[in-house]
Amino acid sequence: MNHPSEKKLHYFLHLKVIVLIAVILTVVVLTTSAFKDSKTVMDIAVYKNAVTDSTESAEAFLQVYKVLMSPRCMNCHPAGDEPLQGDESKVHTMKVQRGKDGKGVYAAKCSNCHQPENTPGLHTPPGNPKWSLPPADMKMVFQGRTSHQLALQIMDYNRNGHKNKKQLLAHARDTLVKAAWNMGEGRKPPPLSYEAFLKAWDTWIQKGGYAPK
Amino acid sequence: MITLTINQKNYEVDVNPDMPLLWVLRDVIGLVGTKYGCGVAQCGACVVHLNGEAVRSCVTKVKRAQGGKITTIEGLSEKNDHPLQKAWIELDVPQCGYCQSGQLMSAAVLLRENPDPSDEDIDAAMAGNICRCGTYLRIRKAIHLAADMQRKVNRT
Amino acid sequence: MNQVSRRNFIKHTSGAGIALWLGISSRGIAAKTADLASAKNFTPFILVDSDNNITIFNIRPEMGQGTFQSVPAIIAEEFEVSLDQIRIKQTNGEKEFGPQQRAGGSASIRTGYDDLRKIGASAKAVFIAAACKKWDAKEDDCFASKGKIFHKPTNKSFTYGALVEEASAIEIPKQPKLKNPKDFTIIGKQKHRPDVPLKTNGTAEFGLDMKVSGMLYATIERCPIVGGTLKSFDSDEALKMPGVQKVVEVERIMGIYHSSGVAVIADSYWNATQARKKLKIEWDTKGYEKFNSKDFENYLRALAKEDGLLDKNIGDVNTINLSSQNIIEAFYETPMVAHHALEPMNCIAEVKDDKVEIWTSSQVNSTITGSGANDLHKFIGFSPENIKLHAAFVGGGFGRRLNIDYVIEAVNIAKQINKPVKLIWSREDTTQYGPYRPMTFSQLKGGMDDSGKLVMFQHKVISPSYSEAMRPGFDIKTVDGTMVEGIGEQAYEIPNLKTSYVRAEFHVPVAAWRSVTSSTLAFAHECFMDELAQKAGKDPLDFRLSLLTKDSDLKKVLLKLKEFSNWDEPLPKNKARGLAQWEFFAGLCAQVVEVTYHADRSIKIDKVYAVIDLGVAVNPDNVKNQIEGAIVMALGAATKPGITLKNGMVQQHNFYDNPLPRINEIPDIDIYILTGGERIKGVGEPGLPPFAPALANAIFSASGKRLRRLPFDLNNLDSGEL
Repeated sequence: MNHPSEKKLHYFLHLKVIVLIAVILTVVVLTTSAFKDSKTVMDIAVYKNAVTDSTESAEAFLQVYKVLMSPRCMNCHPAGDEPLQGDESKVHTMKVQRGKDGKGVYAAKCSNCHQPENTPGLHTPPGNPKWSLPPADMKMVFQGRTSHQLALQIMDYNRNGHKNKKQLLAHARDTLVKAAWNMGEGRKPPPLSYEAFLKAWDTWIQKGGYAPK
Repeated sequence: MITLTINQKNYEVDVNPDMPLLWVLRDVIGLVGTKYGCGVAQCGACVVHLNGEAVRSCVTKVKRAQGGKITTIEGLSEKNDHPLQKAWIELDVPQCGYCQSGQLMSAAVLLRENPDPSDEDIDAAMAGNICRCGTYLRIRKAIHLAADMQRKVNRT
Repeated sequence: MNQVSRRNFIKHTSGAGIALWLGISSRGIAAKTADLASAKNFTPFILVDSDNNITIFNIRPEMGQGTFQSVPAIIAEEFEVSLDQIRIKQTNGEKEFGPQQRAGGSASIRTGYDDLRKIGASAKAVFIAAACKKWDAKEDDCFASKGKIFHKPTNKSFTYGALVEEASAIEIPKQPKLKNPKDFTIIGKQKHRPDVPLKTNGTAEFGLDMKVSGMLYATIERCPIVGGTLKSFDSDEALKMPGVQKVVEVERIMGIYHSSGVAVIADSYWNATQARKKLKIEWDTKGYEKFNSKDFENYLRALAKEDGLLDKNIGDVNTINLSSQNIIEAFYETPMVAHHALEPMNCIAEVKDDKVEIWTSSQVNSTITGSGANDLHKFIGFSPENIKLHAAFVGGGFGRRLNIDYVIEAVNIAKQINKPVKLIWSREDTTQYGPYRPMTFSQLKGGMDDSGKLVMFQHKVISPSYSEAMRPGFDIKTVDGTMVEGIGEQAYEIPNLKTSYVRAEFHVPVAAWRSVTSSTLAFAHECFMDELAQKAGKDPLDFRLSLLTKDSDLKKVLLKLKEFSNWDEPLPKNKARGLAQWEFFAGLCAQVVEVTYHADRSIKIDKVYAVIDLGVAVNPDNVKNQIEGAIVMALGAATKPGITLKNGMVQQHNFYDNPLPRINEIPDIDIYILTGGERIKGVGEPGLPPFAPALANAIFSASGKRLRRLPFDLNNLDSGEL
């Protein structure tokens, strides 16, 4: 695992950006730097040429946010310790529990029903080899978070599953994340296409990882 | 050909790798203690152990079980003397009995991982198993009793 | 559970040597024979052979109600054999065992108790007489115990087996002496059921587990619009699927309902289900595609304005002069529900020439093999003596398996292929094609005199008719007693009482669901009783007791429940209790439900107290198991979504949208069994009806919200529709 660099991105926020923020205070999208608010430490070496743009970044996150708050993502990032299910994001039946590692407990482990692949038919368990919730010590809750809160949370190394910038970028390419767009018959996909999501995700991070106000 | 290890015996079956393990067990191999109740992982009547985990065989394709270790209700114990079976008999848990194979296989994982389960633990482990006859209160009692039996055996 | 032909029956069942059958004649008199094959009008229950094998036959299908043992136990009690000395054998609908080979109506013990005791006692008397003959002793010097006859003076003994030959020549007593219940060693005491160990290791054989060599599997696509039927089908694609042998049209007959579907026959059930998806079918939906259960509810409400057919009419509800402020009215509604026996419907059938062999789990084995007007032979074109049944343990009945529609389907498939075929209904099939408990709506009116005494009560039931649906030829101009069961016969002393029934036309198959119409009528009747008590300003239990001045089983039950449930002890502020009772054909039970009411308008059920009045409890622990189960089933019907139709189709599919209670939802249940009564009552059903009204009454008491429609949402009392 990459050890995060001590360099903090927010130090690179230059005056122009700060001025710009001031200028758009009354405009629709208000932003704060996620990197600034949090103790985020990003491996910026790879992206040192990237130009931050708080407006573009924060707007991109609003697109990302729509996806993350869709049932396909949020259902396994619940506020409580029980997953949600279905397009209505109801609490999962059968009293399913997160468990320490996020993989369920006892006879109710995720993979007992959720197979490595989708089970054919309506209302059958969707599948993925990595099917799970975040673990108990890193719950990465989406449910109930505002776009502002969620952006800060994802940019926070201590709350995002210890992912640096590079790993965050890679995370959107993870097979489990991608599975949101193929979650079995009858389930509504996230509101953006996967490609649009990737683009928004990258833009959000590349442009500075700003959080919408 | 798919090779399966079930209750410590090897079987070779010539089936579609996508066929659910449930139907391979019941209709191909002839182990009918594992039951069909819903076919969509809702009722738990089809629970078997795959590498020790209480998988629902109705949605588990047989290819996933290849190379793994499968235990069905027929293999839970040799002489019907698993603490859970003894407790089930002691408290006359079943009514129609149809769901009980699945109930026992689920409870067996609970008891292995938690020798002294609380009521909440039992709910978390067993809420995936439907009993239409409504023997839930006895199932709960019997799991507690089996846990007691198991602890006594382990002490001596 | 092997079935054997009449001729081989004795040999097969009793092994070598000679054997004696003891049972009952068609006139209800104890009888015996050594030659079953030629015995006429004789139903055997006991078989003793010269090797001292003692077999007691259980004629009632075992579906979890426990009669597999409790029926033989009654015989064993009087016959003086212990339960570990006997072999219990389930009958398979054989003609020898008569038309009672069915399980329904909580009837096995309440209708069989006296005869079963008589059979056991007669058998014992025969063996005592046989021993006396051998010893040349006096009957007073001999007694039976543990399967032997002892001679007191000499302490000599014979096993029953050793006496078979002598016993064959003994005249069976017409009026055998029954034991004093105080001396019972089995009835009221026994506990462990012999089928339980088989149900803990996968060896209990249910219908779905039965196997016949060379067997194929079938699944049926039926019209998704309930009431529709097959127009035409194209099986080309299905026939190309792996393992598929044949695709055939198949007729289903359920009471008055006839429809056809398309069966796919394949080498495995899974292959059959895969190919079923490839069928191209045109249905004749007959206009039923416009049917919505919401509209039907409005139709039922409109029908409530009609007078309907009179059931009970005591006094005169119309002329009694009551102040209008002492009269209240209410309308109650209940949904359709599915049975959901966990073992889906299934049946193996094999046709050879003019004979058919059937392997299945059914509540009505003697309907499958019988020669009655509505028995299976009528629908399949085989003569009764050419129908042979292999019965299995039943993985849940609840009334669903009183119907033989799935047996008829299996036979209709088997007729079209030269091999045994196992038909399996999927859970989706089970959910979508019925039968269901129908909706029953109730219009109630009650009035008190100025002292608050209930003097007028009316209950009008508006619903489809079971009898019309299930009994072709039923006269719809007569009141269907099943639809008004119990409401005119409660023990409450009300001088002016009228009960009536308005029949609603319905095309969806309906069928008895555990405790039949009592499962819904009790909700209306007993909730309204609470509304009246409230109107009268009286405690609901005292109000009911005030209507029970004479001694009655109900009065006894309510007084016991008052004490057992600590009715008079105050509860903490956010907790409350409710009460209901129900007496009907199956028996009598009353319950108190305790709930906690939360500020977010949700309800938690804390505890249920139940008192059941039985006369005799053969196996008290099994009685408790049955009541526990009935309460869980009632909880599901009261608080989980029922069955609804939209555009002619059932909107529910499986347990994800037609859920059942799970272990984390079950309250504590305390049960008190009242015995010592005169009349034997049933066990399987009476635990069900009082629960929903007791719960609704508790919710009213806790929250002030009067729920008049099932089901309701415990998570949010205001959510309305579930």
